[in-house]
Amino acid sequence: MAPSRGPQQLARSLHASLDNHKGPVNVARYAKGTAKYILTGGQDRTIRLWNASLGTEIKVFAAHGYEVLSISVAHDNAKFASSGGDRSIFIWDVATGVTTRRISGHMGKIHAVEFNEDATVVASGSFDSTVRLWDLRSQNRQAIQVLDEARDAVQTLHVGSTTIIAGSVDGHVRTYDLRKGELRSDYIGHAVTSVVPTQDNQTYLVTTLDSHIRLMDATTGKMLNDFTGHSNEAYRCRACFGHGEASVICGDEKGMVWEWDLLDAKVLPPNPPPKVHQKVITWTEHHPTDVNEMITSSADGTVKVWRHPESD
Amino acid sequence: MSSRLKRKLGDLGVDTSSSRANESFCLIGTPLPPLEKSRDTGEFVPLWKQDVRDEKGRRRLHGAFTGGFSAGYFNTVGSKEGWAPSTFVSSRGEKAKQKVARPEDFMDEEDLQELRDSRKLVDTADEMDLTGGAMPGVDEPEKDSIAATLQASLLPPPTESVGARILKKMGWRIGQGIGPRITLRQRRMQDYELSSGSKAPSDLADVHDDHEEAQKHTYARRDTKLLLVDRKDNSHGLGYSPGMGLHESLGVKGGKGVSAGPNLAAGFGLGALNEADEDDLDVYDGGLHHNRRREAYDIIEHNDDDTVRIGSKSERAKKSQVRPASSTSYFRDGQPVLVGFVLSDKPVAEDRLFPLPDVPKGWAPDPRRVWDINNKENIGQRVAPNIPGKWDSRISADERGSLLGETPLPSGPRSVFDFMSQKDRQRLQNIAAGKAQVQAQPPAAPASVPLPPETIRIPRTEPHVAQAALRGFQPFASDPAKQSRYNSYLHSQLGEDSAGPPLQPLPDQRTDAFNKEVEDYAKAALLFKPISGAMAGRFTSAAVVEHGPMIHEGLHTPSAEEMERKEVEERKKEEESISPKAHAARMGMYGPLTRETTPWQPAKLLCKRFKVKDPELVPETPEDTAAVPPASEWEQQKQEFAASTSTGGVGIGGGAKREGPRDISNIGLGEDEDQGRDTLTYQRPAMDVFKAIFASDDEESEDETKVEEEEENISPPQILPAEPSIITESTATPSASTSTSLVLGRNELVDLNTFKPTFIPREGKAKKEKDKERGRDKEKKEKKKKEKRAVLSFAMDEEGGEETVLPKPKKKKRKDQDNRRDDDDDGMWVEKPAPEAVNVLMFAPPPSSAESAESTAGGGPPKGRKRAVDFM
Repeated sequence: MAPSRGPQQLARSLHASLDNHKGPVNVARYAKGTAKYILTGGQDRTIRLWNASLGTEIKVFAAHGYEVLSISVAHDNAKFASSGGDRSIFIWDVATGVTTRRISGHMGKIHAVEFNEDATVVASGSFDSTVRLWDLRSQNRQAIQVLDEARDAVQTLHVGSTTIIAGSVDGHVRTYDLRKGELRSDYIGHAVTSVVPTQDNQTYLVTTLDSHIRLMDATTGKMLNDFTGHSNEAYRCRACFGHGEASVICGDEKGMVWEWDLLDAKVLPPNPPPKVHQKVITWTEHHPTDVNEMITSSADGTVKVWRHPESD
Repeated sequence: MSSRLKRKLGDLGVDTSSSRANESFCLIGTPLPPLEKSRDTGEFVPLWKQDVRDEKGRRRLHGAFTGGFSAGYFNTVGSKEGWAPSTFVSSRGEKAKQKVARPEDFMDEEDLQELRDSRKLVDTADEMDLTGGAMPGVDEPEKDSIAATLQASLLPPPTESVGARILKKMGWRIGQGIGPRITLRQRRMQDYELSSGSKAPSDLADVHDDHEEAQKHTYARRDTKLLLVDRKDNSHGLGYSPGMGLHESLGVKGGKGVSAGPNLAAGFGLGALNEADEDDLDVYDGGLHHNRRREAYDIIEHNDDDTVRIGSKSERAKKSQVRPASSTSYFRDGQPVLVGFVLSDKPVAEDRLFPLPDVPKGWAPDPRRVWDINNKENIGQRVAPNIPGKWDSRISADERGSLLGETPLPSGPRSVFDFMSQKDRQRLQNIAAGKAQVQAQPPAAPASVPLPPETIRIPRTEPHVAQAALRGFQPFASDPAKQSRYNSYLHSQLGEDSAGPPLQPLPDQRTDAFNKEVEDYAKAALLFKPISGAMAGRFTSAAVVEHGPMIHEGLHTPSAEEMERKEVEERKKEEESISPKAHAARMGMYGPLTRETTPWQPAKLLCKRFKVKDPELVPETPEDTAAVPPASEWEQQKQEFAASTSTGGVGIGGGAKREGPRDISNIGLGEDEDQGRDTLTYQRPAMDVFKAIFASDDEESEDETKVEEEEENISPPQILPAEPSIITESTATPSASTSTSLVLGRNELVDLNTFKPTFIPREGKAKKEKDKERGRDKEKKEKKKKEKRAVLSFAMDEEGGEETVLPKPKKKKRKDQDNRRDDDDDGMWVEKPAPEAVNVLMFAPPPSSAESAESTAGGGPPKGRKRAVDFM
């Protein structure tokens, strides 16, 4: 495929397939900084660290007793947090590969875990419908605060510099504004599975289980765009922004990776996209800086690194 | 080390600089004593290291090979020479003085102590004995018995017991006895009783014939023995005394002074560190040596005769008389009567049983006959309903009660009909009547006839359980009809007058089926009441209640239009039920309709971790109106001020939100009338303001907050919430300062940049009012804080509002600190010279134009002003 001049084409040629996971892969995240590495967590209770460009597995982090549902990498890449079916958050030291801390307190499996900007606080959203904020500076076993406004399982979290955004199955996206001391809950109407804000925190992308991805205005709660075409009705399929936030990318339950233009919400070609995974794509993440790279993780047990053909 | 030696050593090849060569063996000074004073006294010491010492610290026990008991030089009896027989001294000249040698004369102090202990009454701690202190004993060997008794009866005891003190307060005197005075004869009898322990014969008084003068008086009662019953704190049987001798156990009781304690066998074998064992008890000891118990250690035990004589009542006397009698009495089979019991002299009366009378055959109980006979005259007047035969056959207990006008007893409802309202019952009856008339026509009709109420059993559910179950899980959610029946059952169980319709069997339901259903309901109610307490918090009821699919029985073939109709209906129903929010979301009208904004208070620690200023939420008011209350506060203050000031030059109307009119020089002074008022309305600034000022970045400021709180507790700081910050702010803002200084130029030219009104009161007032000084200090502190705060706000303003400031708070803070330091210095320097202008200012309030100018000046950056307010 020739490089196009206009808006960046999505990296759609397979660069590497990481298939050491023995079951569905629930989450795949880039490391911070230059994001050379990928951390994936799967149903096989392991977290694996990969070199994305070489496609080799570097390390296996095995301490979870249940499936791994969420991973969050600290800003300095020194540690990461993971959570899953064992109802506790594990804080890992990347270098040694051991858990430095295990935070328990949730009553259900933890769907989402997220560090704040300087990894002093970790937030966790759980099936028990609470978001708990844990202090990592002190050894306090109690959560700093419990956000129990959600009426159903909290599926996704985003922790910004002054806000905490939680998406819940009850159809709400709740934005906790620390500076204003205000909770803004936007009713989306369908179970929210992922919320990804833009860099400027003015808008956020909401994936719901009615096969819609909505771009919402964070300040007013108005819908700016609605992206449809894909199928997402039962699984958490995390959508993300493309490079430069010019497009929206989401893998769907049929194993296809869709891309929409952010502004006119049209499906970018190919439409329909080819099926690249055997099963549902659980996580799509675009490389934070590189135009060329994107990863998808799927329930078929593979994580695929996508690049533009010429960049290989 | 001398140089020669050094050299010599060097020749020998010894390294002179090594520490070994330089080792010093001289010891200069006295070493400190070892720190063994603090040794644990309760420390375990093995048995062979323990030693026994008496109260004077002398070692008393030396072991068999080192001299035995009380041996050795220092433990000799009494003197250095040891015990020596007394030398003969002629006592010819002192015969009169000679006294009979008593055993006590030959006892050493230990023996005496033992003797004293054995004579002690009750327990020494309690000092219950009124006469005990004056016991004739070894302490007063000169005293003869008469003197002792005299003293006992006349002299007050050395220390009075509580009881004696109470009695004295009531007018009792020693020697007066307790109770009304008695005649001589009675007293004699009492004496006899006390001495002999048995009831005095009635002819006792007649035997003694005193002169008649004695008969004329009444006498005080004798003190009687008080029966002290020991607490039974062992597990022996009644009457058994541990360590009872052979004779005793056979029932041969010794004399009066039988000691209850174990008599240990005399001789070897029992050390002070050993405890008396059963084997050590002297079973052959027949109670001969009572005065001395050879115990290894003094186990203080109460004697049987631990009695106290105090007053008397006849019952007491009897009680005390009982005891000696019991000790000698036996049952007929030779067993001794237990201590404390008396043999009854009367035989036990047997219950007499009379044989039942023979009931003649064919006799029926008919009380009427008897009544007829007994009250013939009444029978005639009795009305018919009162015929007793009617009672048991016709009228039930309830009816009888209602006839008599009793309130019915509260009891559980008996049948379904009890739950029905009058109207329903009526209707049911009508139906029944109608059915009875047209019974032949519908074949299904008989089932719908209400079943006899006896067969319907409605299990009882406690009202609170029903209440809880109503609020809890809905077990029959998939079957709305059943659920409604369940609910009605619960309602019926809630109370008598519930709103729900009464539960009754369905038209085509058999009684047993109905009973079963109701039973199920009762069980379900017990099962599905909401979980309380700790468990309840663990569950969240879902946003959407799933009723589950409706299951149709049998083979169901829905037609297309039926389905469609149903769907449309459902949709309509859903649309009716959903909230406007959901509706808006469905329509895609996201925005204000789907957005809810509520105040949310993030935890302080969270704010700290996020490096965000703690938002100060006013609990009731939403965020955008948060700034309003302080403003209203000002209005109030303004009014107060207007009322209090008599000087007319103050224009209040200038600044709407600004509090200008306050006399600047007056602030913080004793003359300031509003000072006390301000403390009442003072609102403590948010903690993180303090933190931002005082706490270093990493430091946990927990203790600091505590200190702050304590300070507040000690003395509420007397602060004017609004003014100081405004003033300082105005000093800080360049434009404001110029304008104010201009204004003040008219007023003896006080430079507001250097003028800190805060510090003036200390000069003038501190010495006068000592008690207020503390509060003042606080105040000063607070003021300083205010200034800093104001400076902080100023800095924020300078940087163009909080939004831009926030991304790099650390840097800003440091800058603040610098500012603060400068400011502090200013404050310190200003404190010394009290400008004369200030004194002038005190009495000359600034003119109204000052306010207006100030207000306009302060009004420049509205955001900054708001910030200053926020700090309040």
